[in-house]
Amino acid sequence: MLLVLSDEHKEHLGFLPEVDSAVVGEFGRIAVEFLRKGTNPKIYEGAARKLSVDAETVQHGVEGLMYLLTESSKLMISEVDFQDSVLVLGFTEDLNQLLLQLYLENRKEIRHILGELTPSLPHYHNLEWRLDVQLASRALRQQVKPTVTMKLHLEESGGDKSAKVLQTDPATLMHLIQELEKALAELKTTHCRRILRNIK
Amino acid sequence: MRFRFCGDLDCPDWVLAEISTLTKISSVKMKLLCVQVLKDLLGEGIDYDKVSKLTADAKFENGDMKASVAVLTFILSSAAKHDVASESLSSELQQLGLPKEHTTGLCKSYEDKHIALQEKLRESSLRLGRLEGVSWRVDYTLSSSELQEVNEPTVQLCLQTQGAETGNTETTIVSVSADKFRVLLTELKQAQAMMNALQ
Repeated sequence: MLLVLSDEHKEHLGFLPEVDSAVVGEFGRIAVEFLRKGTNPKIYEGAARKLSVDAETVQHGVEGLMYLLTESSKLMISEVDFQDSVLVLGFTEDLNQLLLQLYLENRKEIRHILGELTPSLPHYHNLEWRLDVQLASRALRQQVKPTVTMKLHLEESGGDKSAKVLQTDPATLMHLIQELEKALAELKTTHCRRILRNIK
Repeated sequence: MRFRFCGDLDCPDWVLAEISTLTKISSVKMKLLCVQVLKDLLGEGIDYDKVSKLTADAKFENGDMKASVAVLTFILSSAAKHDVASESLSSELQQLGLPKEHTTGLCKSYEDKHIALQEKLRESSLRLGRLEGVSWRVDYTLSSSELQEVNEPTVQLCLQTQGAETGNTETTIVSVSADKFRVLLTELKQAQAMMNALQ
């Protein structure tokens, strides 16, 4: 499928043919670095001074490249489609080849970064547990009541940690274990296997 | 195959793989590595420079070094957790393929420190809301806006606890009248008597 570029995007990328291919390569490298670690406006100013153009033009050029790369990686378009989409910009053959190389080399990494942007629930980090026996309380002496106390440590994708304290008696714990084993066993049913086979 | 030091379960595959990495260093170096790992488990911190010097002869990469530290940590802490005797640990490790000299070195270090290790593991077991500090004050109320002559002693208790879920210090302040405090004290003394009976 072809990538449709908006007019504003084409205008931003229109800056690229005006500089040499070495500079475009450098912009490509900066664009990938920004995708990895976040933007750094100082670089725009440094580049703008060296090329004697506006910092804003440089910024638009780099951001246009970043957007081109993320959209192509997101849709996982083939080489031919990428070349056709870039052809519409009216760049030279060399520039097209350069952009294609940039896309192919960094596609996997960009997809990995994009994959991490999905919203996620807190996930398992650690589970501490303890087995106690309650022997007496203020209200009743001479008891024997076993309990399992658990502290479930969770981690969000941003690195925030939280902990939940849970307590259960052994019978409920057995039931919990059985339910979880049933959930794992679901993976081995024919229905699930059929779906997994088709995805792979 | 069930192993006592793994808690009567199968030995994890990665442990089997890394035991073969351990055989690459000499038994003397391995004993010194065990000493370092035990220091780390007892909370004294591990000196990675010493570890890299010990493993430099066998030309361990960064990954191999971390793997050998990890496998020794697992073996020693797991053996202490399940209270495995030194001889059975030695025979099980030899079954897994660790050479005799390495096994003897490891088991000797384990035997020396296993009580201290179990103490440390006992301390780090799950405990919710530990009591960190208690401070108290006895006041005598002379009079108040409600009644002119009150003449009553009260106790102010300040309890500092570690939050169960967050782990941050929480402070609770309560003021207790004389009668209520007497009841509290009796009940707590009964609980203490019960705890002493169990020990």
